[in-house]
Formats: sequence, structure tokens, C-alpha cells
Amino acid sequence: MAMRTRLTWQQEKCLQNYFGGKRFCLLYKASVQKFSHQNLLCTCENQGPTMIVVYSEKCVIGMYLKEGFQGKDVSITIFALQETGFSLCAKGPDSPYLLFHKRKTNDFSILLDEKAVIVSSAICKMLQLTARNNVIPIQECEAFRCEELLDERKTRGIAVLHSNLLQALRDYKPYGDLVQQTRVLLLGPIGAGKSSFVNSVKSVFKGSITHQILVGCDEDGISDKYRTYSIKAKDDSDPLPFILCDSLGLGENAGLHTDDVWHILKGHTPDRYQFDSMKPITSNHPNYTHDPLLKDRIHCVVFVFDINSFEMHSSELVAKIKKIRRDLIKHGILHLALLTHVDSLDLITKEDMTDIYNYSPVKSKLEAFHGVFGFALSDILVVSNYVSEWQLDPVKDMLILSALKEILYTANEFLEDLPLNK
Amino acid sequence: MKVTARLTWIEEKILEKLLGNASLTLLYQSSAHKNCVSEMTQKYSLQGSTMTVFHLEKDVVVGVFILENFPRLVSEKPCTCAWFSLKRNNSSGISALFLNTKVIVDSEELIIFSLDGLSLSVTPLRGFTLALNDTVMNGLELNLGHGFLPVECEIFRVDGIKKNPSFIKKMVTAEQHRGKLLSALRAYKPYKDLVSEVRILLVGPVGSGKSSFFNSVKSAFQGHLTRQAIVGSDESSITKQYRVYSIKDGKSGETLPFMLCDSMGLEEGEEAGLCIDDIPHILQGCVPDRYQFNPCEPMKPKHSPHAASPPLKDRIHCVAFVLHINSVNTLSDKMVAKLKKIRKDVVDCGIGYVALLTNVEEYDEVLDDSFANMTETVTSLSQVQNVQKWLNIPIANILMVSNYASERRLEPMKDILVFAALRQMLRAADDALEDLPLEDTGNLAPF
Repeated sequence: MAMRTRLTWQQEKCLQNYFGGKRFCLLYKASVQKFSHQNLLCTCENQGPTMIVVYSEKCVIGMYLKEGFQGKDVSITIFALQETGFSLCAKGPDSPYLLFHKRKTNDFSILLDEKAVIVSSAICKMLQLTARNNVIPIQECEAFRCEELLDERKTRGIAVLHSNLLQALRDYKPYGDLVQQTRVLLLGPIGAGKSSFVNSVKSVFKGSITHQILVGCDEDGISDKYRTYSIKAKDDSDPLPFILCDSLGLGENAGLHTDDVWHILKGHTPDRYQFDSMKPITSNHPNYTHDPLLKDRIHCVVFVFDINSFEMHSSELVAKIKKIRRDLIKHGILHLALLTHVDSLDLITKEDMTDIYNYSPVKSKLEAFHGVFGFALSDILVVSNYVSEWQLDPVKDMLILSALKEILYTANEFLEDLPLNK
Repeated sequence: MKVTARLTWIEEKILEKLLGNASLTLLYQSSAHKNCVSEMTQKYSLQGSTMTVFHLEKDVVVGVFILENFPRLVSEKPCTCAWFSLKRNNSSGISALFLNTKVIVDSEELIIFSLDGLSLSVTPLRGFTLALNDTVMNGLELNLGHGFLPVECEIFRVDGIKKNPSFIKKMVTAEQHRGKLLSALRAYKPYKDLVSEVRILLVGPVGSGKSSFFNSVKSAFQGHLTRQAIVGSDESSITKQYRVYSIKDGKSGETLPFMLCDSMGLEEGEEAGLCIDDIPHILQGCVPDRYQFNPCEPMKPKHSPHAASPPLKDRIHCVAFVLHINSVNTLSDKMVAKLKKIRKDVVDCGIGYVALLTNVEEYDEVLDDSFANMTETVTSLSQVQNVQKWLNIPIANILMVSNYASERRLEPMKDILVFAALRQMLRAADDALEDLPLEDTGNLAPF
């Protein structure tokens, strides 16, 4: 029998959020280490903040000891998790050791030998519990050490990885030095976060938040011009060797014209070109690039979607995007998908973003996206853009830098795969 | 007071990866808990697999992973153990050994020793000191002084791994074996240098993982995930062009002596998917890189049938039939017939061939403990039996991989399967090259 908690991910999240960003490390499990309060105490003494959880047929009951098991009275919070929700009451200081014995004065006791919890009528009422004769049979008991999700130890590790990743991107070079700057085109529905992603990348390299690129959600989208953005690192005078290209959003009828996509891809569209949904650019335009070089072309396309709304697009828009993707495949132009607003998924917190791809809500979204648009799972990236923040956050930085690294590696593969005659 | 592990977060990640993406939970720490053996055993009794870590001076970490439950106080028992050491701030350096080990716990001392002569003992009451014998120092590439070393001790429970000695042994030795295979492939030379690069054709149904296999091969050599071949799902084959891919060594940047040739997927219906009549042209080397396939019409070669055929270097030297392992047993009769027709063409051309089953889920069970052979569990699978029966491919050449399609990190165990499959393909190609009639090698027949 494995040492694995019975708490579901949602239950763990609920407790995590309530007790202030804690990670629960399972120390004791009654079915493995015997229903014995002595065994529980042996593993739990001097472990810092501790949480004890018992499972009855219908609900989870627990107590949180802010200072853990020590030789003194500690503050105790009793809680219950049921289908109806989460409820709790503060018990006040008490000796945690005595909670495992039957006492007349105890309004709450966990009797492991008898596999039962004794709960007073008052606490039953506060926690909305049902207990015949104030006794609730239990099936399992678990005990956890409660650690900060983002403690100094983890923060220090993240800082090292962040620094390494930033340096790797500064050292990035386009494949074979075929171009000085790799061009990445951001395509996607209006309001997906394309311009926010550019702002976020700029912010990370600048070392402070910037909103140089206007972002909004006007009816027809703010990004109505074609813009090519170079990025500068802090303390550097030269731009980094990649350019992010922002375009008008894709719409069912309005938005970026499909023919304009191809002009951009081939490098004909000049910076700051004003898009017209009804009329793609023609060679008569005064700034039209007639004979684009490799450096003017797009080397990687990134489809940007809001992780919360990609499933709500009309079938016409989905078909339009799929058509563009099929054409990219036909022409050998490598492309990825980028889902934004991952931090807005239900129950996802900043602390989860260090390992974001392993969380079930994210996995579900990626599989749904794969089902709709056909991208391989490993070609779907997620980020959380800087939207309302004033300060940079290393965890969000990491997601942005990791996504950018995958994008630039992919652009290099496009350059590597070019036919010899270019 | 809070209890925080001294093992850094990055070191924790390194160790978790060593054991196959496990997770560690701190149970005991000498600076927070009582310094005695009974306290140690109480904290990690009946916890399952554990890892005992010693932080030495000089930023060195030494540890022992124990697969079975830790012994009780005043007892001893044989355990499956992995011994390791790592140096702080050395991002890649980790030495690991897999050994059968005995763990002895008495009231004052913890002793861990293996029949190979490694020995480690801990005496908590003397302010937690650790004694390592010379064999441990050498085996784990340590360069420490002798005698008792003051240490801090931490014990972690290890969750999320298979409780299987074979699995542990493979995980701990995988990186080393991967390196050996990689070196062998780098050093490979085609039979008698008849060609400078062996061409391997990937052929199979739509969605079987042909393009993903190329991406996986390139990823394994590069050391990071690559996406050169576009993959995904659509109504029909994503790959519609014939592609000849070279692969560069991630270290030296030199081109490796083989190429993977990717083709359009096969489909059941006629005039859908790769045209069967295109196969002989591909095999003979008449199809140029980036040729756009037409399901309804085979290629019309520019040369007349009587002109000289392309040189040996442009031909296919090995064909890999790529099949999704979950689809093998449900292949339609029409698809099997197509595959058989292709096999006949391959045999007629004297080309080596293998089968490649993709998307193997229990990829850590394909090879035996020493990575020398496929396991009997695998060779007796119904999918393997069926491929052998339909295509008459010897079981030794029915290969298995797990492509990098949904993961974001490379794994040594998956790399090993990719490299081993490549090695078998190259052997099949060499067998075919060796068997070529003399006139095909460019030499004149002897009088």
C-alpha cells in the first residue's frame, strides 16, 4: 500500500488556498503505519506546521496546527470538506497530544485505536456535520507537514534557473547566422493576448514592466497595424537577435485578411502597414517590399489563443485558422501554439506555475486544444502575460522565457530545413 | 519552527529525475530532530522507498536510495539500493551506482554496506559523523579525506516510482548506457564505406508516428526537444512531401552517417495516402527531396526505364515499417495487403527492413536490466507476433520506441530505445549492403 494521500487535487487546492499557499507533505498514513496515535506522534513531532486529516464515509475532517507538535499548547483550527463546501472553526490553544485521547472536556478527539472521531454538538453545528451520538466512524487518517509553496529554498532555485534561461536567450543565435534576427509572427483571434505577449517579453528583458505596445479590446481590436518589435536587454545597446511581429487579430469576417497572412510570411509587408480587413496589401503600396530577402520572411509562426476562450470560437473562425495551418504545413513553415492566461484557470495559483504542465486543468485544456486544432501536445505552450502587475515575477518570467526559447529553437529548425537555394 | 530541507531545490530536481520523475518528501533532519537512531527509524519506518542524504563539507552530497521499507531498530536486512553523489553547483555531475546492499540498524549506529565492498556508517550520537570506505570514495568519484566526516543527515520518502528493482537499476544506469549507444552511433561507418550515409525509409499508415520518430531521433542527438518535421493530426496525412533528413550530432555539429526518409502516410482506400506504385521509385532513389506526392498518380521518373539507375548512395538501404502499437491488431486487411506489397518490393530490391512499433507506453520494460536485449514480456506481445506473421520480419528486428510527442523533457530511457532502434536499422542496412551483387557496388564482376 503506497504512501499517497486520498485528498483529491481539488481538495488539496482548497486547503492550500485557505491556509496560505502551503504544500502538504504526507508524513503518516494510518492504513500503512497502523491506526496508532503513538505512531502518528512519532512521525509528526517537531515537523513544523502540521495538518491532520481523517476521512469518513461522506466527508473529510481535519485540524490544522499552526505550530505543529511541540511541548506546549498550540493554536488549532478544525475544518471539514464536504460536497457542500468548506467550513471551519477555531478551537483556540490546546495541547495537541491530548486530542488523541477521550476526555470529558474534549469537544474534538481523534481516536485512532477505535477508528472514530468524537465531535461535540457545538462543533458539529459549526462544521455542518452529522454525527450519531457525536461519534463519526473514520476510514483513514493522514498527517502532513505544511511547507510554504514558494519558500526561500525554492525561490533561490528559481532564480538560478531564471538567470540561466535569460542568459541562454541572450546568447541565442539564428541557425548558421543565416539572418541577424529571427522573425516570429504572432497570429490569433482578437483579444488573445498577442500584444500582451510582446509587452511581456520586452518587460522580462528590460527588467521592469513596460506597456509600450497598446493593448485593449476594442470591438475591432487595437492591433490594426503590422508591427515588428526588436527587443533590447537591460544594459545592452544592441537589439536581441529576434523580432516579434504583431498583426491584426483574426476574426470570422473582420480581422486579418487571409491573403495578408501570406504577404507577411513572404516578407512583403512593411513595418507599420495599416491593415484593411477587406483589402489585402498589393504591390502598388508605396512601402511594399518587392524582393524580400530571407531576413524579411517569417521564420516561425505562433498561434496565440486565450486558454479560456479558444473553445468558444465560431466554427467559421476555427475553420479559417485550420486552413491557415494547413497552408503553413504545405509550405513547410514551422508553427507553435501559445495559450495565454494560464493563471486564470480554476484553482491555478502562481505557486503552480513552476511545474504548470503537470496540473490536470492545464492538461485538460491542452488536450481540448489538440482536439480542436490538431497541434501535437508538445507544440502547445502556455504563459501568463503581464497585464495588471507593476512588478516582475520570476515564476511568470520563467514561463515567458521558456516559451520564447521553444519558439526560437523552432525558428532555427525552419532555417536549418531551408532548401539550399533558399 | 519550520523544517526546511537543506538539499537545494535544484538538487532535489536532479535526484527526482535520476529516479524517473519521483518526488521527495522530507521525513527526518538531523538539525531539527533528535540525533539518535531510534528517532531516525521512527520517522521513516513503514514509509516505503527512502533516500538518505548526507551533506558533507566541501559542498558534496552523498546518498543512498533504498527501495524497500527501512529496517526496524536493531535489525538488518538486504535491500535494493542506489548509491549516488553530487557536487553542489555542478549542474550535470552526478555519480550513481546500483548495488544489492545490506542495511543494519542497531541502537547506536546505522551501517549500509554492499557485497562489492562499499561501506557507509553513521553514528548520530557522536554529533552525526559519517564514515566512508575507499571503495565508496572511488565508486562515487569522491575526493575526500579519511576518517569520520561531520555531516548533516536528511531522510526523504520517495514517491511516484515503480517499486521494482529492475526499474531502479535501469534508471540509475540509463544515462551511462545512453552515452555508450550514442558513441557507437557517432562512430558508425556503413559496410566497407560503400556509401557515406545510410538511407532509412520510414513507411507506414497515417498517424503511426513516422515524422515523430524523426523528431525523436533528432531530439535524442541534440539533447533537447526538436520539431523540424511538422506533426499533429488532421483529416489525412500531415506529411505530404518526400523528405530526406540529415541529422547533426548535438556535440560536434557534424552530420551523422545516416539519413531518415519520411514519406506520406498510407491509407486504406485506393487513391488515398501514399501511392503504392511510388514505392519502387523511392526504393531505387529516383524520388528527390521535397517531392510532392499525389495519391492518385505515381511519380513519372525523368529517366527512361532503360537508363542507368541512380547510384547506390541515393538508394534506400533500410526500410522501417512504422506502426502505432495500439493500431497493429486492428489493421484492416487492405492495409495489411498494402504493407505486404511494399515488403515484396523491398525484398525484390535486396533492401534490409525492420518494423518499428511506436507509442509504447511501458517503455522502461522493453529492454532487460542490462539493456542488452528485449524482454520476453515484449517479444511475446500479440502485436509483435502479428507483425512477424504478416510481414515475415524476425522478432529481433521488430523494434519499439516511445516518441517524444507530448513530453517536454527528454528521458534517457526513451533516448536508449531510439538509439537501439537506429542501431538495428543500421545493422539491417549493413546486412543488405554486404549481400549486394558485385555489379551493384560499382565493381566489375571478376572474369
